Amino acid sequence: MSWRARVAAAGGRAAWVAALSALLLAGCSARDRGWRTTDISGIMPPLKFTLTDSKTGGVVNAHDFRGKVVLLYFGYTHCPDVCPTTLADLAAALRELGARARDVRVLFVSVDPARDSAAVLKEYAAAFGPEVIGLRGDSEELHRLTRRYRVTYGYGRPDAHGDYEVSHSSAVYVFDTRGEVRLLARPTDRPADLAHDLGRLIAEG
Amino acid sequence: MRRRLILFLAAFAWLAAVPAGAASRVPVQVTEARIRWLPGDLPMAGYFVIRNTGERPLRLIGASSPAYRRIVLHRTVSYGRMKPAKSFEIAPGWSVQFTPGGNHLMLMGRTRAIHPGDVVPITLHFAGGGALRVKFRVRGADLR
Repeated sequence: MSWRARVAAAGGRAAWVAALSALLLAGCSARDRGWRTTDISGIMPPLKFTLTDSKTGGVVNAHDFRGKVVLLYFGYTHCPDVCPTTLADLAAALRELGARARDVRVLFVSVDPARDSAAVLKEYAAAFGPEVIGLRGDSEELHRLTRRYRVTYGYGRPDAHGDYEVSHSSAVYVFDTRGEVRLLARPTDRPADLAHDLGRLIAEG
Repeated sequence: MRRRLILFLAAFAWLAAVPAGAASRVPVQVTEARIRWLPGDLPMAGYFVIRNTGERPLRLIGASSPAYRRIVLHRTVSYGRMKPAKSFEIAPGWSVQFTPGGNHLMLMGRTRAIHPGDVVPITLHFAGGGALRVKFRVRGADLR
């Protein structure tokens, strides 16, 4: 018996909910449209933010990145392992794109603006390549942006040395050249797969 | 009496400390020792694979280096969730991996300028007083 038949047989609201979920899941699965990372088209709002570019010191917003495929990632520079590992993976994907990487920007948004001064953030971002831009904002700007993309972060208790950990979402959101959300890249995604998907988004223009 | 006790304790402490000098006798093999460079005074991560080549379990309890003020062992709880770890048990014949996104040494407070390409000595300390000095190669920030 196919799932359609089963739904028909069961009838009722619960079954419709189940069917709808199944459709949504099918719609979201990465394989059927040829994406290798996770297709999240339309389930998050378009790119929108106002933050300070650590390199220029100027205020930037989403419009400044129109025409570029944008990768949005939240982290902090005192994170010695996970953030640099993710950024290294993104850098590897960009290297695979070769010259096409000029159409991509990685926006690294600090969730620890208290420690991440513009100077620290600038150097940190530059260490991963020219396409990586460190952005910071005050707590209100940061709150607005993280709430928009349902990104969670929290601060651990400082140790005896005043060092503290910041827990944060590890996902990378990918927006197309028009600023629409398209893909979700996870730490488990291979750089080659991300490069494949970025290549497609660049080709879409 | 008290003096004699202090002398005894001092002698005992000296004896207990001796194995630390006999570093090469710790039956471990360390490979892929590398550090991911980060700018400024940001903490860096040290990675390596350690294998217990002996017959008895070993316990890695810490690390130290003249190049850093403080080194903390970090264990992966789940991806992206780290926790300072007191020690790592290594069973005979088994390896423990310290890899990007996983277990790592958190290297804090560099005491001198460090650049990609440098070689930094780090001493691994084991329960029972054993120690092993390992040369770590400093790699770029985009090390994978």
